[in-house]
Amino acid sequence: MNVVIVGNGLAGTLAAKTIRELDDNVEIEIFGEERYPYYPRPNLIEYLAGRLPSTKLFAFPEGWAERQRIVVRLGEKVTRIRPGERKIETVSGLERFYDVLLLATGARAALPRVEGIAQPGVFVLRTLDDANGLIDHLGTHKRVAVLGGGLLGLEIARAIRSRDAEVSVIEYFDRLLPRQLDPAAAAILKSHFEKSGISVRLATVVREVLGSGAVQGLRFESGDRLEADTVIVAAGIVPDVGPAKDAGLEVGRGIVVDDLLRTSVPTVFAAGDVAEHRGRIHGIIPAAFEQARAAAYGMLGQNKPYGGTVPFNTLKVAGLYLTSVGEIDAQGEGYEALVRSLPEAGLYKKIVLRGGRLVGGIWMGTKKGAAEISRLVAAEKHVEALKKDLLEDDFDFSEIT
Amino acid sequence: MDKYECTACGYIYDPAAGDPDNGIPAGTRFEDLPDTWVCPQCGVPKDLFVKIG
Ligand SMILES: Cc1cc2nc3c(=O)[nH]c(=O)nc-3n(C[C@H](O)[C@H](O)[C@H](O)COP(=O)(O)OP(=O)(O)OC[C@H]3O[C@@H](n4cnc5c(N)ncnc54)[C@H](O)[C@@H]3O)c2cc1C
Ligand SMILES: [Fe+2]
Repeated sequence: MNVVIVGNGLAGTLAAKTIRELDDNVEIEIFGEERYPYYPRPNLIEYLAGRLPSTKLFAFPEGWAERQRIVVRLGEKVTRIRPGERKIETVSGLERFYDVLLLATGARAALPRVEGIAQPGVFVLRTLDDANGLIDHLGTHKRVAVLGGGLLGLEIARAIRSRDAEVSVIEYFDRLLPRQLDPAAAAILKSHFEKSGISVRLATVVREVLGSGAVQGLRFESGDRLEADTVIVAAGIVPDVGPAKDAGLEVGRGIVVDDLLRTSVPTVFAAGDVAEHRGRIHGIIPAAFEQARAAAYGMLGQNKPYGGTVPFNTLKVAGLYLTSVGEIDAQGEGYEALVRSLPEAGLYKKIVLRGGRLVGGIWMGTKKGAAEISRLVAAEKHVEALKKDLLEDDFDFSEIT
Repeated sequence: MDKYECTACGYIYDPAAGDPDNGIPAGTRFEDLPDTWVCPQCGVPKDLFVKIG
């Protein structure tokens, strides 16, 4: 049996690894557009910050793929899929027959439609080539605007700040991480960034990237301008559906898959950031991994249904732990919110109760008690009698059973 | 004691530090982590870690 995998990112690589663990004899060949062996993308942040040498980016020791008898063709973009004949074609003219195909082409960074966005000095951060291009440019261009105050934008801003650049984060919403934080917590996070020398502009709409041939700054809807010689866009992802769409596979925003990660063509599977499962594109590592593993089983005919991924509700943002669960900002009849906040220390804890039951919480700046709070919220525990104590740093959660 | 790296996200498990946030005391060898332990950064299981020495 002959398995072909398109894309040597996380999903493609971990699917290959799983297939080999399940079956010694299957032939596995991966085609990857990038010129590098697989690396975890979060490493790009550390690399950008100058804290991780390029030799340490890669996940597996040299020779790993060969030892697993996985053939990896790097710098070999798949340009065409012919599902009728079960064949793929690559940019250099290679052709391969497959018994089953996995599309693990991931996603690209989204570029908002803003005047002047397509010019030298505007960057995204998705690949090692992106990182190298950016680092090169930053050597002589240190006034940076990051478009997007989401998780990725904030990580990028912090990484670049440690290269002594002048960094501004531009966010469309009126607070940072609106999905995870209430206004008070978001304000603490903002001042945490400002203390490290990063400026943050909220509720700001970018109308134009100024410059012709070299970035000179930004013009906002308000008419204000910001001088900058580097613009980094962190405004979400676009699944890379190109070859699948051309081949007539069912495509929404991503490649549509069922619970077995099958596309609309039974011998073609998809997993990772490119896959649209139950209407969702997850765009996170745990989902890409779980899909890749389930797809590997499915491709070998051993069905292992995938039911979706519940995202981790604890994150680390700019060095601060952040846990956010349930209804974090509910107000009005029947709701009660209690807060303990030490802004100087970057600490913010909040619980939201409805009729004495715990229905939401934010734990920022500490991880102690965060897992317990998540569990109590999931169970909607009645905590009326203990509600004040819950926010204390030394609260003993074993008191609640 | 060997360090191990998560191949999904790059997190490094250092036995000298353990993973106290998740109940793993400093000094715990990777091999001795319970099978239920997952990467504290991205949530994948233990078998996705490789030894980096
Ligand atoms: C800087 C950064 C930090 C991140 N940090 C986190 C984090 O902390 N936690 C988290 O959960 N997620 C994080 N993510 C998201 C995470 O990296 C993705 O969810 C994950 O990479 C998805 O894996 P994938 O294999 O589906 O896609 P990708 O990693 O995008 O890999 C797809 C690969 O396929 C290749 N390809 C595309 N088209 C073709 C073609 N036609 N032929 C051949 N090859 C092709 C691409 O070049 C690419 O190498 C981060 C992302 C970035 C960019
Ligand atoms: Fe991890």
